[in-house]
Parts: sequence; structure tokens; C-alpha cells
Amino acid sequence: MNYLDLSIKEIHAALVERKVTPLDLAKEAIRRAKDSGDNCFEIILEEQALAFASSLIEPEQDNLLWGIPYVAKDNLSTKGIPTTASSEVLSGYVPLFNATVIARLKEKKAVLIGKTTLDELAMGGMGMSGHLGKTFNPYDPTHERIIGGSSCGSATAVASGIVPFALGSDTGDSTRKPAAYGGILGVKPTWGRISRYGLIPFAPSLDAIGYFTRYSIDAAILLDALAGKDAQDASSSDAPFGHYADSCLTPLAAPRILLLDDIIEAVRDETIRQKLKEAEEALKKQGAILTHARFGEDLLAAIRPTYIILSGAEVCSLDANLDGIKFGLHGKGQTYESAMKDARTRGISSLTKRRFVLGSYSLLGEKRDALYLRALKLRRKLVTRTLELLSGQDAILTPSALTIAPKFDAAHADLSEKDKAADNHLTLANFAGLPSITLPLGYSNGMPFGVDFMGHAFEEEKLFAIAHSFEKIVGICGEYAGFRKEKHGI
Amino acid sequence: MDEKRETLIRLAAERLLFDLSEEECRILSKEAAELEDSMEEAAKIEGLDDYEPMFFPFECESAALREDEPVAPLSLEEALSNAGETVEGMIRVPKVVER
Amino acid sequence: MEFKAAIGLEIHVALKTKSKMFSAAPNYFSHEPNTHVTVYDMAHPGTMPTVNAEAVRHGIRLAHALHMDIDPLLRFDRKCYFYPDSPKGFQITQQFHPLGRGGFIEIECEDGSKKTIGLKRLHLEEDACKMFHRVEDTLLDYNRAGVPLVEIVSLPELSSGREAARFVEAIRHLVVYALASDGKMEDGSLRCDVNVSIAPRESDALGTKVEIKNLNSLRNIERAIDQEILRQSELLRQGMPIEGQTRRYDEASGSTKLMRSKAEAADYRYVPEANIVPIRLSEAFIAKAIEECPELYERKRERYLKLGISAKDADVILYDVAMAQYFDKVLACGAPTKAATVLFNVEVQASLHKMGKSIVEFPLEPKRLAELASLQEQGYPHQAVVQAFHYLLEHPKSTLEEAQLALSLTPPTQDEEGVLELVRQTLDENPRSIADYKAGKDRAMGFLVGKAIQAAKGRYGPSDIAKAMKEELGKK
Repeated sequence: MNYLDLSIKEIHAALVERKVTPLDLAKEAIRRAKDSGDNCFEIILEEQALAFASSLIEPEQDNLLWGIPYVAKDNLSTKGIPTTASSEVLSGYVPLFNATVIARLKEKKAVLIGKTTLDELAMGGMGMSGHLGKTFNPYDPTHERIIGGSSCGSATAVASGIVPFALGSDTGDSTRKPAAYGGILGVKPTWGRISRYGLIPFAPSLDAIGYFTRYSIDAAILLDALAGKDAQDASSSDAPFGHYADSCLTPLAAPRILLLDDIIEAVRDETIRQKLKEAEEALKKQGAILTHARFGEDLLAAIRPTYIILSGAEVCSLDANLDGIKFGLHGKGQTYESAMKDARTRGISSLTKRRFVLGSYSLLGEKRDALYLRALKLRRKLVTRTLELLSGQDAILTPSALTIAPKFDAAHADLSEKDKAADNHLTLANFAGLPSITLPLGYSNGMPFGVDFMGHAFEEEKLFAIAHSFEKIVGICGEYAGFRKEKHGI
Repeated sequence: MDEKRETLIRLAAERLLFDLSEEECRILSKEAAELEDSMEEAAKIEGLDDYEPMFFPFECESAALREDEPVAPLSLEEALSNAGETVEGMIRVPKVVER
Repeated sequence: MEFKAAIGLEIHVALKTKSKMFSAAPNYFSHEPNTHVTVYDMAHPGTMPTVNAEAVRHGIRLAHALHMDIDPLLRFDRKCYFYPDSPKGFQITQQFHPLGRGGFIEIECEDGSKKTIGLKRLHLEEDACKMFHRVEDTLLDYNRAGVPLVEIVSLPELSSGREAARFVEAIRHLVVYALASDGKMEDGSLRCDVNVSIAPRESDALGTKVEIKNLNSLRNIERAIDQEILRQSELLRQGMPIEGQTRRYDEASGSTKLMRSKAEAADYRYVPEANIVPIRLSEAFIAKAIEECPELYERKRERYLKLGISAKDADVILYDVAMAQYFDKVLACGAPTKAATVLFNVEVQASLHKMGKSIVEFPLEPKRLAELASLQEQGYPHQAVVQAFHYLLEHPKSTLEEAQLALSLTPPTQDEEGVLELVRQTLDENPRSIADYKAGKDRAMGFLVGKAIQAAKGRYGPSDIAKAMKEELGKK
């Protein structure tokens, strides 16, 4: 048992009582990071982290994040620290500024010990398209299974107990899917709740800063630290925010929860089905008012193509700054066009390039109406349906994924493979900008799986309260690969 | 039809300044065709055309204008620190013929 | 066959704000490249745009002055294109929801009549970075990247190069007097693209549009358009079709040259700008922006004319907004209009010219000039006032009293005897002129008055002298 294995709140208590120091924690986290064979790091910041941790002497009683080690997805800008978004096109790029979330955590004196891998430019769900190759699921020592992406490195870092929390980003389901496959919590707050300034964007109308923790209370603590208006992000909201860490401890009296049957029925894994059923019963016992509904299969089938088109259309323009002139991989050529083309073609992998091209294709004059415009209409249709179902409810419950983490070779990275429509439902939260939290639900064949709660915009407070009660029902919170409570007799 | 799609795929890639291999172009044509099929399927969703296009995740407005106060700019050294070749404090690119 | 031309203009105006359109980088001209940039201006990943309130205020004022409908919901789009001068690979603009729509502006035609030109839109956007082309390569300076621009687009309602130049002049007056821009074509703070199409005079249909880009002076606008009309007319006469093209004006040959045909035109793939959620401009914000608009050119000119200033004098003052601002301060200090105008348009202008300075560097405070003008009103001879003016110019810290003392300027006399004495003496000394006067040579009177004024050495006012001279001559 190490202090690093506790919740942030518990580690904080130990720090305040001087049972452990930030330096001890940083050293242990770095040791674990170096020991990890799951390819989850772009860079381990040993020198900086130890120097910063050593400077933290007087514990700050009111600051729960003081001296807590963490990692950040490498699409978050870090001043003076290379930031590549796991793409060669940004090789050599050293930001001149910190992302707002990094700056806020620095103010809180949390200790950044490394930058983590992602699917290249956050465009992927398999955790395999980054320039360092595949990131592995720590629950599978044979390295056959994905942790999922795009926030693969951050998910693996938390799922293998390296750090108590990690920053990620979420455009389609990029924190919640990997959280489910890694048996940890993944949070995607309301669009605009956390400043995106300094996040290397994928699709701003869908993007959110997300994060991973192992305890629901930690998830609430993090939002306390990160939420709020930022003058540098004009889309950040000035809607009031709560004291999440305090309020999540009080259970909702009779939470109204809607279960989406067309998603639940698509689950084939008996263990997952069983656990979902048990969870439903337990929620009922706690006084939750449960309702069942169907989203509509034709609508579910529209999620993926809508997402591919809208995210692709946005990324086309946004990532046009990656031309090798101002930063990153510098192209060679006789003309400016050929030099730009060289940087972009060499710098961006084939898989990612295809996502871009599909976006660009959807915007072509001939295709714009049938693809881009139709996708924008579908977005409203899907959002309308989601809000209709959410109306009168506190949250919508779904299995985060239909299966345990698939194998790399079984889940083709081939974009147009007709994914099971029901496995893309987490993206609804991005379309509608709603908060959504994935929690660990259980294990099937030793591999974790999760459940997701999606709530109303800016009502993270309710979601955290639901999550906090639910985590007690499930009883596996805090676990990570190599640290299972039943094995440790907890 | 497929030839026309390949032409459009190449145009779409050209707009992004990407070179495409034959293989990439072939895969993309297939992906684009599937995407179009899915969208044709989705077009059958009842009343879809009555929906207004939606760009932001929810109807949001702000009053967030920035007051006109300049901040300290980057130093020249910082500004050029990530660039490739620089000459006389400027970034050098191959000769651009104005168009 | 007779043709008529339909000309539309797109004018880009660089706004005079302290910071840039979407970043807080300083917006001042700098000779040092890449010293006025932030990470946003160089499109570093993860940077985000924030909208400059002052640029919006300028936009509102201009749209209001142009009688446009103002959209209170501010929205932006991305215009996508790869080019080294476009750091982000797109420009943030307002393609779908311009700040201002409709509206019109009046221009004065050659015959003095007024013509109303309809406008399409006014929107906010950002400038690109500057490219310096050398023999072998191109160098990029990002100082200009992100400078706020207003684009004003007219309907194709202009019919000649001269009219188009008048239109641009009117827009220039507007933006300069709104203190929104320097409006200098030579510096690129006002840039102009034009569309020219021609059709047979009796036809209702419009011809094919040809765009001429980057015209950098009023003269070039006028010439380029007239040349283009000639070129197109010639083609039509020969039965050749007009091709949709983008052309540029070649100053050396005085003709337009092909840049690219419409087939090569870029497809800008406009998409909404997701990093700026729609901004609701309150009624109060809009009203205040309009209310705080400085007095505009036309209004100022009308006021001057009403004050009795001649059109010629008014135009001299209005040539430069800083000049008009200075002149208004002189008037505000209570200066009599006529005397102030003469002092300003003759003495001040001549001094500035001599010193090679602009009015903002002029050493005399407007208050001093007002005092000098009042002196003249009090009956001091003009020459004395001019002397005092030059004295003060050399001693800008002196007061008017000190100047008067130093120059021994005495107040205009009530001493009619003295004046009479002087006049009589002058007449005695110039019997020949008296004879000339009697012989009907009117010039003699002027000569005699001049002599007397000279002899008075500022002791008596010229008008007093002239009056006495007339009387005395009449007695001869």
C-alpha cells in the first residue's frame, strides 16, 4: 500500500500530516511511470517534476491538489515542454504558453510528471495512431488489447496506478471510452465549463477538456479546480459553478434515471449484462426512480457518420495552421505549396489524413448539402431527441461500451467499418455539449468495463452525487491494474 | 461514378495540401462511398429536413468582448523560436508568386 | 454600340485600435518585423480568438453612418485558404452574418449633383501577415497579421472611374473623421478591389464581372476602371465574350493585366468559427458606440459653411482630420471665425509647410491662435497680428501680452487726428498719385493707402487709414 494508491482527499490528509511529502509522491509516480511497459508517455518530466516537488515544503491545508502528481495528454500546451499531440507534424514544437488547465493546476501546485500519448491529434478511438505507436491496456499483459483513445496514455497512466489523476480531452468519447476499458472514471464536463485555451483542437464545437480519476470525489475535486470562465477562451461559460467536492457527498433523494434499452440490449457479454441488471436493482433499492426508453435505432446509426463529417469539417480548417512554417516539422520544396505539402504529408499519418480528407470531401460544393449540411441537421435532430429523453430526468444511464476492451487486430482502425451503431452513443454528449461521466462497473474475464451517466448542461453537481452513491454500490472504486481490492483483501 | 468520386477525393486532399497515394485514394473512395450511403440512410429519418442546421452544442450567447488594451508582445527571439529558417527577423519561405 | 458600366467596390479599412482584432497584441506600425505578435497571431496550436470591443464599436459607428441595419448578434466564420500570409490557414470574417447590411452613401458627381450609391454590407475581419518578396525567397512578418479590418462592399451602382474614385474618397472621409482609420491608401490602411461589368446601354442584364485587385491610389482606381471599361467594350465590339477574371492594374502600361481566370478561383469552404460563441451586443452598447462617434466629414463641412467659411477654405481645413481638429479647438476657444480662418489657412499652413511639420507637431496651442484671431477682431492691423504670430511661433512659451510688449504693439488707435495727420502727410509726399486718382486711375488709391500703412508701422489700423484716405482724397 502506497499513498499514491489513495484518493486525492486521503493523500492530501497524509501530506498535511506530513506522513508523506510531494517529493516522495513524485518520485514514486516517476518510478511507476518508468516501469510501465504500456507506452503511455510522450515524455517523463523527471527533472522538472522532482525540482518542483522539492520546492513544496509547507502543506496548504485548503488546497487539495497541493503536491499531487499528475500527467497530461500531450495535446495540452505546456510552456517550455515539447507538445506534439503525438504527431510528427508537431515534432520539435515547444509552446510559449501554458494551457489554462495546466496553468490552473500549476497554481494549485499539482506536480506534472509527464505528457501522455494520444491518437494522433486526438483523432481516433483506438490509441494506436500516435507517432509512438500503440498504447496498451494495462489489464492485458499480452498487449493485445486496446485501452482506447484518443486519451490513451492518460487513461493507461491512471488505470495502471501511476498517478491519481490525468488530464485528457473528449471530442467523441475520448475520455469515457478509455475510462471504461481501463476501469477508471472518465469525466467530460459541459461544453464551456472548462477553458479549452491551449488544447490543440480537434473540433471546437465538440471538444471538451476531460480527465481521469479513480474516485468520484477526486473527479469532483478536479472540476472545482478547473471550472470557470477564462478570458482567453471566449466560449468558456460564466455560468455559476458549484462546490462539487462538498456537494457530491450528499446523495440525491430520489434521482430520476433513464435507461436506454436499445443500447443495453446490444450488449452481448453476459457478465456486463448481469452487472447492469444488478446495478439497476441496487439503484432502485437506493430510491432511484428508473425509467426505460429507446433512443431509436435509425438515430443511433446516424451518430457515427454525423460525427465523422462534423469533426472532419472542423478539423480541416483548424489544423490548417499545421503547415510547417511557424512551428513543428518544417517542409522542403521549391514552392511554398510544395513545402507546406511536404510538411503536412510527411507529418500526418495516413489514418489521420483520411479523417481530414473525409471532412474536406464533405465540404466540397457538390457534396456540401448531402453531407455537411445534412450532418448539421442530424446534429440538431440527435440533440433534440437526447434532450427530449433527458427532460424530467436527472441522468441517462448507459453502458459506456458494449464490450470489454477489444483487441487491436479485432477492432479494425478502418474508419468506415460499420461499427455497431449502439457503440457510439457517448458522442451524443458532445453533440449536445452535455456532461457525462463513466464509472467502473466490473470485470469480465479480468478486463474492466464501465457505465455512463449523462446529465443536463452545467449540472455536474447532480452527476457527481449520483456517481458518488453509485460507486459505493459497485464497490471497486480506486482499483487499478495490479491493485485489485479482492486480491488485497480490502 | 467511382472515377468521379476519386477525382473529388483528390480535390478534397488537394484543398488540404495532402499528397495521396493510390492506395489511400482507393480506401478513401470506399470510405466516402460508405459515408454517403450512411447519410442517404439517415436522410430517411422522418422530418429531418425540417431541422435547422445546428453548429454549437446548445444555443449560447455571450457578451464577452475584450477591451482594447494591448499586452506585451512576444520577444523577437520567442516569436521565431519555433520557426524553421529565419532571415533578418523574419521567417523564410520559398519564393511566393503573388496571385 | 454604346455600353454602360456597372461598377462595385470592396474597400478594406485597417482600424486604428490599440490591440489587434482577435488578439491583444499591440496594433501599431513597427519597422521591426515580428515584434508585435502574440502566439495567436502566429497561429500556435490551442490559441483562441477574443473579439476586440473597440473594433466592434468602430464597425457599429461606420455601419450607422452608412445608414445600415446593424446585426446585434455578432457572429464569425472561417474563410479557408492555404497561403503563407495566412498563419491559421483561414481568416476569421463575417461571411454569413455581417455586422451591417444595406445602407447607402452619397457622392458628389462632376456636375455637382448628388448620387446615392447603395451598399451591400460591412463586416469585421482580420488582416494577413506581410510578405517581402526577394529574388530567391519570401520573408514573413507577422506584425500585420490580425490587424482589425472593416470591409465595406457596395452594390454595382457606380458607372465610371471618376465616380468610383469619388466613392472611395467619400468612404475615406468617413473612416478618417470617425477616427476609425488613418485611411491612407499609400500605407495600405485603405485598400480597394473593384468589380467591373459592362452591358449594352439598352440592356437590363448585367455583364460578366471582372475583378481588379489591389488598387493603391484614387488615380489608379479611376484609370484602371476606365481602361477596363475600354478593354471590355473593345472585346464586345469584336463579338468576343467577356471572361470572368481577376486582373490587376499595371501602373507602367496604364492597363489591367490578367492574374487568374474564375475557373481557378478559390473555394473558401466557409465554416462557422466555433471558438467564438455568438456575442449579443446590448442596445446600450450599440447606442453608446454611435453616440460617441466624432463629428463626421460632411457634418463638419456643413457646419463650417454655415459659419460663413468659404467652401474653398473649408476644404483646406478638412484636408486633414488633425487639421480640422486643431481648427475646431481654436473655434472652441472663442476665436472669431473669419480671423481664425485667415490665420489658420494662410499663416499656419505656410509655417507648417516651411517647417515641414504636421499640425500635430505645431508648437502653438489652439488657444494662442484663438487669442491672435481675437486681436485682429479688436482692430489690430493684420500685419501686427502676423508679427505677433511669428513671435509666438519662435517663443511658444510666451504669452500674447509678452509678444505685444516685445513687439511694442499698441492697441488700435482712437486717435483720429493722428490718422488724419499721417494721411495728409502721405498725400503731400505723393502729388503725382493724387493727379492719377483724379484722372480716374483707381489703382492710385491702393498705392496711397499702402504707403500710409507702411508709414504707420502698425500704429494705426489699415481700415482706419483707408477710410481717412478716401475722405481726404475726395476733398482734393
